[in-house]
Amino acid sequence: MQLAAVAKIKSLNYTNISYRNIAGKATSSPAENYLLARRRTLQVVVSALLTESGFESAEKAAVETLTEMLQSYITEIGRCAKAYCEHTARSVPTLSDTVVTLIEMGFNVDTLPIYAKRSQRMVITAPPVTNAPVTPKALSAGQKRTHPAHIPSHFPEFPDPHTYIKTPTFREPVSDYQVVREKAATQRRDVERALTRFIAKTGETQSLFKDDITTFPLIAAQPSTIPYLSALLPSELELQALEETDSSEQDDQTDGENTAGNDDPGADKENSMLPPSGVVPSTKASEDNVIDNPYLRPVKKPKVRRKK
Amino acid sequence: MNRKKDKGFESPRPFKLTHQVVCINNINFQRKSVIGYVELTIFPTVVNLNRIKLNSKQCRIYRVRVNDLEAPFLYNDPTLEVCHHESKQRNLNYFSSAYTAAVSAVDPDAGHGELVIKVPSELWKQGDDLKVLKVYIEFSLDQPKGGLHFVVPDVEGSMAERGAHVFSFGYQNSTRFWFPCVDSYSELCTWKLEFTVDASMVAVSCGDLVETIYTHDMRKKTFHYVLPIPTAAPNISLAVGPFEILVDPYMHEVTHFCLPQLLPLLKHSMSYLHEIFEFYEEILTCRYPYSCFKTVFVDEAYVQVSSYASMSIFSTNLLHSAMIIDQTPQTRRCLAQALAQQFFGCFISRMSWADEWVLKGISGYIYGLYLKKTFGVNEYRHWIKEELDKIVEYELKMGGVLLHPTFSGGKEKDNPTPHLHFSIKHPHTLSWEYYKMFQCKAHLVMRLIENRISMEFMLQVFNKLLSLASTASSQKYQSHMWSQMLLSTHAFLKSISNVSGKDIGPLIKQWVDQSSVVKFFGSFAFNRKRNVLELEIRQDYTSSGTQKYVGPIKVTVQELDGSFNHMLQIEENSLKHDIPCHSKSRRNKKKKIPLMNGEEVDMDLSAMDADSPLLWIRIDPDMSILRKVEFEQADFMWQYQLRYERDVVAQEEAISALEKFPTPASRLALTDILEQEQCFYKVRMQACFCLAKIANAMVSTWQGPPAMKSLFTRMFCCKSCPNIVKTNNFINFQSYFLQKTMPVAMALLRDGQNICPKDVLNFILDLIKYNDNRKNKFSDNYYRADLIEALTNSLTPAMSINNEVRTVDNLNADVRLILEEITRFLNMEKLLPSFRNTITISCLRAIRQLQKNGHIPSDPSLFKSYAQYGHFVDLRIAALEALVDYTRVERSSAELQWLLSMAQNDPVHYVRHKILGMLCKNPPFTKTTDSALCNEALVDQLWKFMNSGTSHDWRLRCDAVNLYYMLFGLTRPSCLPLPELGLVLNLKEKKAVLNPTIKPELGVGAFNTMEDEDIDMETVHDSQAFIHHHLNLLERPSTPGTHTHTHTHTHTHTHTLPNPLHKHMAEHRRATSTGHLGHY
Repeated sequence: MQLAAVAKIKSLNYTNISYRNIAGKATSSPAENYLLARRRTLQVVVSALLTESGFESAEKAAVETLTEMLQSYITEIGRCAKAYCEHTARSVPTLSDTVVTLIEMGFNVDTLPIYAKRSQRMVITAPPVTNAPVTPKALSAGQKRTHPAHIPSHFPEFPDPHTYIKTPTFREPVSDYQVVREKAATQRRDVERALTRFIAKTGETQSLFKDDITTFPLIAAQPSTIPYLSALLPSELELQALEETDSSEQDDQTDGENTAGNDDPGADKENSMLPPSGVVPSTKASEDNVIDNPYLRPVKKPKVRRKK
Repeated sequence: MNRKKDKGFESPRPFKLTHQVVCINNINFQRKSVIGYVELTIFPTVVNLNRIKLNSKQCRIYRVRVNDLEAPFLYNDPTLEVCHHESKQRNLNYFSSAYTAAVSAVDPDAGHGELVIKVPSELWKQGDDLKVLKVYIEFSLDQPKGGLHFVVPDVEGSMAERGAHVFSFGYQNSTRFWFPCVDSYSELCTWKLEFTVDASMVAVSCGDLVETIYTHDMRKKTFHYVLPIPTAAPNISLAVGPFEILVDPYMHEVTHFCLPQLLPLLKHSMSYLHEIFEFYEEILTCRYPYSCFKTVFVDEAYVQVSSYASMSIFSTNLLHSAMIIDQTPQTRRCLAQALAQQFFGCFISRMSWADEWVLKGISGYIYGLYLKKTFGVNEYRHWIKEELDKIVEYELKMGGVLLHPTFSGGKEKDNPTPHLHFSIKHPHTLSWEYYKMFQCKAHLVMRLIENRISMEFMLQVFNKLLSLASTASSQKYQSHMWSQMLLSTHAFLKSISNVSGKDIGPLIKQWVDQSSVVKFFGSFAFNRKRNVLELEIRQDYTSSGTQKYVGPIKVTVQELDGSFNHMLQIEENSLKHDIPCHSKSRRNKKKKIPLMNGEEVDMDLSAMDADSPLLWIRIDPDMSILRKVEFEQADFMWQYQLRYERDVVAQEEAISALEKFPTPASRLALTDILEQEQCFYKVRMQACFCLAKIANAMVSTWQGPPAMKSLFTRMFCCKSCPNIVKTNNFINFQSYFLQKTMPVAMALLRDGQNICPKDVLNFILDLIKYNDNRKNKFSDNYYRADLIEALTNSLTPAMSINNEVRTVDNLNADVRLILEEITRFLNMEKLLPSFRNTITISCLRAIRQLQKNGHIPSDPSLFKSYAQYGHFVDLRIAALEALVDYTRVERSSAELQWLLSMAQNDPVHYVRHKILGMLCKNPPFTKTTDSALCNEALVDQLWKFMNSGTSHDWRLRCDAVNLYYMLFGLTRPSCLPLPELGLVLNLKEKKAVLNPTIKPELGVGAFNTMEDEDIDMETVHDSQAFIHHHLNLLERPSTPGTHTHTHTHTHTHTHTLPNPLHKHMAEHRRATSTGHLGHY
């Protein structure tokens, strides 16, 4: 039910917008008129500058491009100057903001007065006065809240209620077993497929079809130097899973490195395996140290008399 | 082997070895070389001992000294190149005899050897006081191809960091490959072994580690071992590597070794070894004979398990973590095998090759007892049936397996196995397959002996043998006592008769001295008037691999009133046996029916014949004869047998019989078994496949959903949503195995169009999709691999429109789904490899199947890349299997060459062995078919390979011989160009006939038996082979196109030819005449 309602609202919105668009095209809005006028002035400016530089005629496209450039330039100056002004916590740019901007943009400000006073410059009529576009009134929905007593009245008024009021949409968590399984399966499959495809795309591949190597890309088989390790040792994922299901069964694997003592004669003794904890019958735990196994005995030093 | 009086063992050598020192000073992993010396202490047993023959192969010998005197020596190894003098001979008969001669010439059991040392005259002039001689030999090995195997991974770091290791290996007595010795199982001595290795490595060898001492520069250590128990050289081994050491927590004298990083797996895999120890020590009432035991797990192992005195070398691939289900019983079995061989095989050694069966038999038998105890009686009986079926199948196909061949000293026609293309006189000439079957038969025969004399007596015999041996082993230097540690057939049989007082002579004669098995056909009729069961048991004893059985046989009849055993006597000419029935045929009124085990059950008797009280009949239910039984009884009887007989063997027999009765009643019986949780899981697994077959046969009348689908749903799917499988929980192994098997069997279902039904395929795809192992304690790699196998099974040949090229676009929609799963699995495996790469293996098989069925283009390149060295060995074998299949189907000579070159050059011996084995099983062509692949170059290549390319590995050479036999047969390959002479002058009959070697072979059997009356492959000595060869040169014919052109060879024989040669001439004449007949 809820979903259907949402969909309805959406479709309503959609029609609204499109309706407005259609209306805009038919009779140009005041805002557009305003912009068009400005643009036309810019065009005139460009044409004037061209004439000034000695051009007799110009292609329309070239003029358009130059206009565009000029417009961008001016816009950038405006944007930048505004940024400077806001940086200093003001809202209206001052002259100095503009100057800093120009300098920042690599313009030599000193040349500006001379340029402005040049003799052959043309005078351009100001753009026709059109009404600046009025910002359309926001659609007000619902009743605005009045300030509570402890807030002074000069404070901004509350926004429309719909911007802050939350209507909790209660979505029942999916507990249907079938759906959960379905979702888990699909998700896993998608992840796996995406992952393997990614690896296949970025690495070497083999193909079952000579003509089409992309439909069933197989990650190329890479021989490894010690193939039995990966084939026998459980992957980390499996180990993790095992830990989750039964953490008690895992013996510690820290005593994995031994027989490393190349240079230190004592190292062998220390590194040599102690019987694994947990497996040893508890009675023997106390007598660990007395295990007499020839492989655990320290390596003897050569007898001196044998030395040549 | 003549059964001498128990006087003991007579050495074939003129001296007795008492002690041997082996010292290896230097092992260089970089260069794969070894330097060392041996010192043998020997007592001459004759005056004037002037020559000492020892065994040594591929060792470079620098100097030999006898009692500090330099001694000259001769080295000659005839097995390096079997047939000398590059000849055009290409027939296998010739090769086999020459090979046997070569092996005989250096056979230590006959007192021969490759290395002949001349005792300096100063020493033998000392005369009659028979002084001790010390023979000191310095030797080195450079890149050994056999005997020692170096594994040196090609990565950065020191040898220890790289996990480089070296270990000894070999098939039977192969110690001569890595140090000079008397390489015989019957020459025992005490040992001192010293190995100097890098300080980061451990050297594990036989006996007790006495001490470990640093060298002066502290960069190396020397391991000193002493083996005080007299041991034969073939039972000596060595493993050196940066092993991680684990002292067994239950038995501190037992030490385990594995390669770096595998310690957690080692801990888990070895956690039950002590139970096996306890079991054997208890049943044998004898302590483990050695003071310590070591297990070493190595990479690239030659075989999975090999046992040596006080240590065993295993393949590292047997190690597994606690998450793995399927590998666990297999590893336990391997350990149990290794340990059984410690008692019988290592501690007690064999007297001669002919006595091998006793040791293999006993170790196999006590291993069986372990299986029974650990895995249960059902598993044990199932295993016995499996082994029996195996040996029966092998013998019926290939001819008999002879356990105790007797070779009388003479040179007469005494080849006991003329049906074989190899000689069984030496272990080194045996085909591997034959040897495996030999072991299998040996333990089955031990079980037959147990049936006869009871297990108690059997164990007493073993105990007696062991205590005799251990008394002997503690004697010092009284070398004549040591022969008590050698076991012979005679001593074993005598011990049996002493202990049990029973005569098992006939049994031994039937199964040990004679090859072959028995083949029974049984049928019956019920005589209502006499209330008698008329049983007819016929035998086939004429086909190959069969023999006649005379003696008792047990028949069990289940009647309405109970189960009754009858002992029948099979005699020469009696076929029919009347067995009186106990119950009347009338229907009992709702009475319970007593079974063999005393249980009483209710049965629905409506299916049975109203006139007969018989429910089912079993012939030889205890498998106390090595036999195959084909018994005929009605379908309802098989169904009753399946449902109510409690013996798993009977149930399995019933299942295989029911395949022939596709009826709703069979279906019901099978489904009921499938659902019964008390039933043995392997029976239920077998029932799955039978049900699939029945469903296919009943396809037109089948009612309801596809077979097993609703069952699977009920057992393994969620109650609320039956299309989704439960998340995995493999805590109950029985249902785990069933869950694995059912989809595989279901995928074999076919509909009316002979394709896999759509809903079965979707069902399997859903199983894969919803498979969820997150909450499982065990790995699901085998399960997933089986699901892929199920997908593979569902494939059927593609509809092909005149051989269009297979492209992605014209892919069948179902196949596309399958292919997508396979691609995903295969790719995921690269990121998260499964245990032993089971999933990739299944995927490779699936891809090959897709290719074979014409769904995707047939292309070997993928398999080739997986077959490369550097992949896990199981994976390589699977890829190679696909390649072998590709070679056969596509008749590709390029792939055949590729395979053969890998068989010649691969670093892993096991892989080389497997390639040849698989080529034999699935040959690209055979001797009876024509193929473009069969050409002269291939013949030459294979010939060269078996002649000289495989001298370092007996097993491989025999594999090559097998392959040659498979491809070309016993005689000259038909693809060879006809020899120069098409005609042979037959001097006796004074006429020219076509050369016999040209004759294409017409089925081996026929041709072979005709000439075998006279040929004696065993007696051909090297010199005779040489003469034989020249004789053939003499007979070398011209092309048949120029029949008239007769060429006289200039070579004439001036030797006086020994007797056998005449026989060969006779043989050739005979062959000639038969060939003549065959050809025209």
